Amino acid sequence: MDDFNFEEEDFDSQVNGTTIRRILRHGLNHWPFMVTFLVCITAVALIESYFTYLSKRMIDEGIIARDLDALRALAIQYGLWFLVFAVFVFGFITAAGYLGHLVQYDLRKQMFDHLQKLPLSYYNRTSNGWLMSRVTSDATRVGDLVSWGFLDTAWTVTSILTSLGFMFAINWKLTLLVLVMIPALWKVAITFKQRILTEYRRVRKLNSKITGSYSESISGVRVVKSLGREHENLNQFNELTDDMYRASYRAAWLSALFLPAVQLVSATGIAVVVWFSGAQFEVGGMTIGGLQAFISYVTFMLWPIQQMAAVYASMQQAVASGERIFSLLDTEPEIVDAPGAIDPGSIRGDIVFDNVSFHYEDGKPVLENLSLRIPQGETVALVGPTGAGKSTLVNLICRFYEPTAGKIVINGHDYTTLTQHAIQSRVGMVLQTPHLFSGTVLDNVRYGRLDATDAEVEEAAKLAGAYDFIMKLEKGFKTEVGEGGVLLSVGQKQLISLARAILARPDIFIMDEATSSVDTLTEALIQQGMETLMNGRTSFIIAHRLSTIKSADRIMVIENGGVSEMGTHAELIRARGHYYNLYTRQFRDERQKVYGLDGSVAVAQ
Amino acid sequence: MISCNKHRGDQRLLRKNVEIIMSIETFDLKETVVENKFVGLWRLLKGYHLIYVIAIVSVGVAALAQTGIYYFLGYFVDEILPAANLRQLLPWVALGFVALATLQGLFTFAGGRLAAKVSEKAALRIRNFLYDHIQRLTFTYHDNMQTGELLQRATSDVDMVRRLFAEQTVGIGRIVLLFFVNFAALLTIDVKLAFLSVAIIPIVLLISYFFFIKVGEAYEHFQEQEATLSNRLQENLAGVRVVKAFARQQFEKEMFEGENVEKYRRGRRLTTMHAVFWPATDLLCGAQMLLGFYLGARMAIDGAMTAGDYIAYVGFVTQIIWPIRNLGRLIADVSTGFVSYGRILQIVRQEQEPITVGKHRPEQPVRGAVRFEDVGFTYEGEDEQVLHHLSFAAEPGQVVALLGGTGSGKTSLVNLLPRFYEYTYGRILLDDVELKDYPRDYLRAQIGIVMQEPFLFSLTIRENITYGVTRDVTEAEIETAARAAAVHDVIQSFPKGYDTMVGERGVTLSGGQKQRVTLARTFLRNPRLLILDDATSSVDTETEAEIRSALDRLMESRTTFLIAHRIQSVMNADLVLVLENGRIVQRGTHDTLVNVPGTYQRIYDLQSRIEDELEADLSAVVVNGRLNGYQKLPQAGD
Repeated sequence: MDDFNFEEEDFDSQVNGTTIRRILRHGLNHWPFMVTFLVCITAVALIESYFTYLSKRMIDEGIIARDLDALRALAIQYGLWFLVFAVFVFGFITAAGYLGHLVQYDLRKQMFDHLQKLPLSYYNRTSNGWLMSRVTSDATRVGDLVSWGFLDTAWTVTSILTSLGFMFAINWKLTLLVLVMIPALWKVAITFKQRILTEYRRVRKLNSKITGSYSESISGVRVVKSLGREHENLNQFNELTDDMYRASYRAAWLSALFLPAVQLVSATGIAVVVWFSGAQFEVGGMTIGGLQAFISYVTFMLWPIQQMAAVYASMQQAVASGERIFSLLDTEPEIVDAPGAIDPGSIRGDIVFDNVSFHYEDGKPVLENLSLRIPQGETVALVGPTGAGKSTLVNLICRFYEPTAGKIVINGHDYTTLTQHAIQSRVGMVLQTPHLFSGTVLDNVRYGRLDATDAEVEEAAKLAGAYDFIMKLEKGFKTEVGEGGVLLSVGQKQLISLARAILARPDIFIMDEATSSVDTLTEALIQQGMETLMNGRTSFIIAHRLSTIKSADRIMVIENGGVSEMGTHAELIRARGHYYNLYTRQFRDERQKVYGLDGSVAVAQ
Repeated sequence: MISCNKHRGDQRLLRKNVEIIMSIETFDLKETVVENKFVGLWRLLKGYHLIYVIAIVSVGVAALAQTGIYYFLGYFVDEILPAANLRQLLPWVALGFVALATLQGLFTFAGGRLAAKVSEKAALRIRNFLYDHIQRLTFTYHDNMQTGELLQRATSDVDMVRRLFAEQTVGIGRIVLLFFVNFAALLTIDVKLAFLSVAIIPIVLLISYFFFIKVGEAYEHFQEQEATLSNRLQENLAGVRVVKAFARQQFEKEMFEGENVEKYRRGRRLTTMHAVFWPATDLLCGAQMLLGFYLGARMAIDGAMTAGDYIAYVGFVTQIIWPIRNLGRLIADVSTGFVSYGRILQIVRQEQEPITVGKHRPEQPVRGAVRFEDVGFTYEGEDEQVLHHLSFAAEPGQVVALLGGTGSGKTSLVNLLPRFYEYTYGRILLDDVELKDYPRDYLRAQIGIVMQEPFLFSLTIRENITYGVTRDVTEAEIETAARAAAVHDVIQSFPKGYDTMVGERGVTLSGGQKQRVTLARTFLRNPRLLILDDATSSVDTETEAEIRSALDRLMESRTTFLIAHRIQSVMNADLVLVLENGRIVQRGTHDTLVNVPGTYQRIYDLQSRIEDELEADLSAVVVNGRLNGYQKLPQAGD
């Protein structure tokens, strides 16, 4: 549920030139759309202003002059322009809309493709919620900026300029008076929008907290009920909703204040025009139609300006979105295929660790100067305390990480000369917390080899000991497993992911606590399948059940950054080191309980 | 240890809770469950009716002021411009404009602010009610409902209802009032012209209504795709290890590409709809206005109206025609808002679990004697019986172990004890009183449950340990509980200790550590009955040993129901029940069962065969080694 709790970080970045240029470039990839909407919106703004001017002429040249013919001619002109106007409206909506969706599409595709290249270490540092927001809402915001944001800007500028132009044509002195008003309007609009935006940001934040709270109490409802915490939960939730109420109420009334404030400024402008128009009427510099047009222009100018304030505010957000998107796209994958990297067709062969060191964080080495050779076909069990580096070792073999020093050689190739695909497509991995994808059981097993036939899938399921329980499911292989496989138990998920790995027919096989949640009967059942699978394949097994470990060709004890012991079960027992201790302790534990030798047997009484 | 003091503490805290509840904006949404949704929504505003009416009236006054401005403009052209003392009058005219604009602004603001207050209050009421309601719904309901579905209703549907009050009702009110005020003004100029000027309105209204309904559907379609795309992404991110392990990047890209293209397509469709609608209605409205202007201008030329009237007329018409398209949108929004409201009501209609109802609420904690008498259970709404004729008994402090495969009914059985579900027939007795007579909250306070996958909340570790403990707890008690659960040292090692937030960046609790935090919670609650549902299966050996000893301490003197897979875990139980398909197929103690042919023996044999092999192996190796090493063996592990 991390994703719901994920909070958007604050961004106060000012509109930044470089980022805007980069965003613009994304739009320019589809420049015909951009040109079309710019042309259309400019035409729309011009025609809109011209309509007002036509109205003025209808009053002055038609009504005041009492000229019916002139009126008719103007009306026809008006009508014709309206047809042209409609065409341009169609043009800008289509062009801007298409462009916006196209840019979003591009960005999402680029980000997704890029994400596939980034190494696991990136995913460990970065929360899924963060990545989700980049690919979804940020891409949308940038797409909207390139289309509607730029469109509104063009419209605003053209509208204001053409309105002013017509006003100048009607009466330049009064126009100068109006010009004084524009900065005031702009100031009021921007100030308000900024404050409103801040409030809405707070609202959004609270909203995501509320969602998180809901999500947690729904997914944890069984725990809530069994612990009887309903009252207190509501109290805590109420603190959130109270804050939410206050923040959103404030945001809403600030918004409600915005329009009246802007209108008041423009009404003052109109009043000034009216006041001074008296002198102009007397000298014939102003007509009735002209006055009406002036009032229309001043009123009309409100919309572009208030629109612009909104655009400016969302532009800041979009630029911040753009910055984050680019930061994702600019992340260099730490592991890249070397130039000329090859795919040898198989990676069967000895695996050699040559003086390998590795650390996730500087100064905290996980493996140090590790050298070892694993002959083709050997089964290696890795044991050792949690965090000692067992999983790290297999991650290195898969090349999810690369050694920070030294090299790993597979079948004589330094593995950095191979493509990642060459290695990873031939490694089969089964994890302790197996991940299944939404979809059917069949889809999930087939993920191991996409062109496998149904019969092969079933065969793999049988080898993994999963076949019987799958057939007992309501729709057999066609049963949906739910998001992340929630509809199945952990043990069932492990068996399916085992089948998936078996189907992949890997050259190297890795099991990381793969059967820890499988019951004893089933484990015995799959033992056979596992042996078939590991036969002839180099296999790495991380397990804590001794029975699983014992049959390995070689056991490695990983401790303090390296392999502290290595050998067969018998050799290590004889060596009396860590493995011996682990083995005897666990074993004795189990035996003592069986025979009731332990004093603590009577647990209950 | 458990005394009357604790219990009195409970009651005191309960009262405290009740007091806090009083200050919360609570509103029983059940009151709004009526046939007519308008009535329901109106009831939701209980206590704010007057404010809301004032809000809408304010919006109307603002509309009136706006019309007044145009009226005044016409008056100005006809009466003041020709006047001789124009220069003296002009400042007053200017003032008149500003006054009208101020009036309009004030009422717009008042209307907006009041409507915001009411709608936010309504949202607050729904949020609080839903939150509490959802956590009190039955288990059966939650089993059948997906988290995402509930979440969507509790968030976006609530927002839709909020907008119903904040935007749609007010918006419709504004446009309708604008229409009536301006139409009335038109009528004062010329009746025939007035009707001719609005002839198109019904058509535009209808077109825009249907358009916005359609666009709403297309938008939903688009949003669905957005969700699909997000899910696709989410799956990819969550399964990144699998994707990489099988080198399926190309496959993933293709899958994502498919959804991405589809989203683009749906977005484009949405655009096209808008691109046709707006210019088309522009043309209709434009034609109507042009007609009006032309007719009006002709009348003005003929002297049937004054120039001032004409100017006012243009203003009135403009205020009627353009908002109509928006009216279509608002009405369409109202219908989607109603759908959202309906979805919320579906949750509201569900019955809550009556957690405090029950005729037997002892002052004291229970002793913990549990008896099942011929108990059977079928999940509500399903046909298949999950448990059949179960009978067994456990004395206080005894351990009952449940063994069986997946789907054998172990978890269903233990879920009956805290009354998560009600058994269908038979009787379950706790201290000789039937379970159904105990109030659920009392019962649940007596039972501690440790599940296979520990669930912690996004709170501090301290809050997680004290979660659900209603009495006041001292720091020392928390630490004692944490020590008993062998997690105190781990917690101390975090920079913020007990104040560490679970899920906080940089601090990750392993599965075993999480499990031990839930154990600490259980120690602190000190329940009489304990349910351990496969509590050690997902932790590694070293922590398993620690958890096991913590569990042993926890089980002391508590009646325990233990679900486990391994013989070692169940062999000390006072009673072992082997379940198959919801029936008890074997019962007894380890000693009796191990000698009887059956499932238990089979599992035991399998496990001990492995162990025998190990032992043989070990002794073989040791015999080959030096004997003095063998002498040291007992110390080696300690």
